[in-house]
Amino acid sequence: MNGSTIKVKENAAIGEKYYYIKHKSGLDIYVIPKKLSTYYAMFGTKYGSVHNKFRIKGEEEYTEVPDGIAHFLEHKMFENEDGVDTFARFAETGASANAYTSFLCTMYLFSCTDNFDESLEILLDYVTKPYFTEQSVQKEQGIIAQEIRMGEDNPGRALLFGMLRSMYKNHNARIDIAGTVESIAKIDHHLLYKCYNTFYNLGNMALCVSGDVTPEQVIAVADKVLKPQETHEVECVQYEEEPQVYRPRFSRRMQVAKPLFAIGVKDVELSEDPYERMKKNAAMTVLVNMLFGRASEFFNELYKEGLISQNFGAWHDHNHSMSLVCIQGDSDQPEKVYERFVEYIDKMKREGLSADDFERCHRVMYSSYIKGFDSTAEIVNNFLGNFVFEGGDMLDYADIIRSLDFDYTSAVFNTVFEDTHYTLATVLPLEESEKV
Amino acid sequence: MPPARIKLADSVYLNVIETEKFKTNFISAEFFIPLRAETAAKAALLPSVLLRGTEKYPDMAALNKMFDYLYGSHISPRNYKLGETHVIGFSSYVLADKYALEPTPVLSQLLGVLEEVIFNPVTDGGVFSADYVETEKRNLCDRIKSQINNKNYYAVKRCRDEMCRGEAYAVSELGEVDDVMAITPESLYEFYKWLITSTRVELYFVGSTDTAALTSQLQDMFGRCANTTAPELSTQVIRSAEKSKEVIEDQPVKQGKLSLGFRTGCTLSDRDYHVFAMFRELYGGSPSSKLFMNVRERLSLCYYCSAIAEAHKGIMIVSSGIEVSNKQKAQDEILRQLELTKAGEITEAELVAARNSLINGYRELYDDANSLKSWYTSRMLAGRDDSPEDAAAALQTVTAADIAEMAKRVTLDTVYFLNGTLKPDEGSDEQ
Repeated sequence: MNGSTIKVKENAAIGEKYYYIKHKSGLDIYVIPKKLSTYYAMFGTKYGSVHNKFRIKGEEEYTEVPDGIAHFLEHKMFENEDGVDTFARFAETGASANAYTSFLCTMYLFSCTDNFDESLEILLDYVTKPYFTEQSVQKEQGIIAQEIRMGEDNPGRALLFGMLRSMYKNHNARIDIAGTVESIAKIDHHLLYKCYNTFYNLGNMALCVSGDVTPEQVIAVADKVLKPQETHEVECVQYEEEPQVYRPRFSRRMQVAKPLFAIGVKDVELSEDPYERMKKNAAMTVLVNMLFGRASEFFNELYKEGLISQNFGAWHDHNHSMSLVCIQGDSDQPEKVYERFVEYIDKMKREGLSADDFERCHRVMYSSYIKGFDSTAEIVNNFLGNFVFEGGDMLDYADIIRSLDFDYTSAVFNTVFEDTHYTLATVLPLEESEKV
Repeated sequence: MPPARIKLADSVYLNVIETEKFKTNFISAEFFIPLRAETAAKAALLPSVLLRGTEKYPDMAALNKMFDYLYGSHISPRNYKLGETHVIGFSSYVLADKYALEPTPVLSQLLGVLEEVIFNPVTDGGVFSADYVETEKRNLCDRIKSQINNKNYYAVKRCRDEMCRGEAYAVSELGEVDDVMAITPESLYEFYKWLITSTRVELYFVGSTDTAALTSQLQDMFGRCANTTAPELSTQVIRSAEKSKEVIEDQPVKQGKLSLGFRTGCTLSDRDYHVFAMFRELYGGSPSSKLFMNVRERLSLCYYCSAIAEAHKGIMIVSSGIEVSNKQKAQDEILRQLELTKAGEITEAELVAARNSLINGYRELYDDANSLKSWYTSRMLAGRDDSPEDAAAALQTVTAADIAEMAKRVTLDTVYFLNGTLKPDEGSDEQ
């Protein structure tokens, strides 16, 4: 070919395949063909809000940057040297463009139903061409300040970060992704270039597209835009976390109608092996549904007693940087819910999990994985964020799900759920005197 | 292509969109009634009471276990308003039979559960279980009160309610706390009986199956809903505001929320609605719109500033989150951009951007079953059945002059401002 290589990978059982392209520029590209109307493309870098102290491999000194700079950089990528805003460029092709920053990555994306090649060209072009000036940085500070204020008034966000700050002592998930109005005031265009040049190296990035598209089509666009680049590795300061939570409680008052609660379960057992993590992730998915799903004893008992409502939910995260389970909802008696949670887990540990529950929830996980292939947006977000950037593989996950067994899942339950791993965060209604 | 519309019985219709492209099938069953204060609370309460248990699956645990067994095909409650029509019912995404791990007629079994949920609820002495009704009443009241938690939503809702005060549209689809508290197992059961025998029922199926078998199963299920007494569904439209009013509400939050409510003078029933759609997109519908480019990008006043419209009621709300001290500045700019649009200051690039953005949005609908259902449901209420592709085609001839003329119909009715009284350093997150 032209210096780029293509490999195809297929999972016949679920009728899905993808092409992996090692592009000659150094970029990893993944193409998942789908006969749907919507094309979806995402170009991302393994750079998120937690990466605030870093160096390029080989450098002596670490650079420390203000909180919220990855997110700030994401905003500024939409401005270009010729003065034409990126949204205006996408408007010509009709694509709907967006971007987001998480703890671990920054993603630039678009969806479209026509002019895919042209839109992909814009995506690759603007993300590889930074242009920051003093004036444009100042202008953005006002906009992001309002984004931060909006978040500060959001009780759900206060609850989540309250929980994370109780759980972690050192991990940067304590830090708000957008930073604070004060921290972003310290950002200037020099710092933005420093971060850009470190993390927006093609070796630290990947492109993923899905839709009615061929790998050749994608390579042709990449050839047009991407210049071969010397890739480098980035090293970030790692933070040690103890297995036990930093603080057992967090509470604050805001204007909410009813107390909100989040029980956090901390887990520091993170394997270096991506496939081990995929397996544990599958086990945690099943566990969360077994223990706290709509058919669980916990949900149904507490719901009947009026301790929780339909707003109740449980979720988990398991990746190379963090692992946790969160059980959240609203309740007039958060401490009572917490007590019942501890009792319930103790009982489950004494009596053991139910194999029938495992079978049922295993089936739910399998079907939700299959259903995930009905939307190009869902495919790409999952593929890139949860698999490529984690060193895993979304099609191999089907086999991991299939072979997951009850004993392993029980073992994960026994190690993750420990009394010292729990924290309770609450957002309580204002006292009468605080209501304006 | 609009869905195939099959009349199952008087006032009962099945709409079928056949497609092979999904690994799931979508099914929904919705009941349509006029939006009124007398019925809103009961309508809002009913789906959650029905999902508490059936004769065969007497409690939530049994029902949810069955959903899990059917490959996580949960039946979700629906409750929303379209103009002054109140819609309640259920929907589900069901794993296609061919992906089941062992041969299972997943769709047909799920429909069996849906039949249980709608027609065989747990009863006690000929009415709903008092326990289920009381718990769900409390939950619904909590939901009504919790609307204050989300300020973005709250500020738009308050503007809409102030603007439409005295009109049926101001009735909340959740009902009001007092009305919920007054509901008894008897009164709810009476409402339920009326609903399933005296109203319009619309069923949707999107996916791939044996349509004849599906039709026959649904006919058996919903044939009993046949009636010739379904109430008329209509929406009162006020085409322009005589004068505007302003409402300011203080709350202990940091950010001010500005909502401007307009009468648009155009509804989905009008032949030129596509011109309004272009106007809204160009004015405040996308990141290329006048509001985004000016209120956010040029003046740095906000993170978001956009215009949403209610197509049946003929209203539009522009909403934004701003520094409290910038209220007037933001309001002036939002209105100035409207004046510029009326004056025809519309560039070719803006026109193209609005058209492309709308067309792309329409075409993406084809990839989501629920979005397609919503599209056709909304059209049906407006007495039309054009497809997203038809709507896209209609945009081709819209000119800047057409949009300026459309903008002239738009009048400001209500300014709502949620005035944040907290100082930036108050209410800190840290312990």
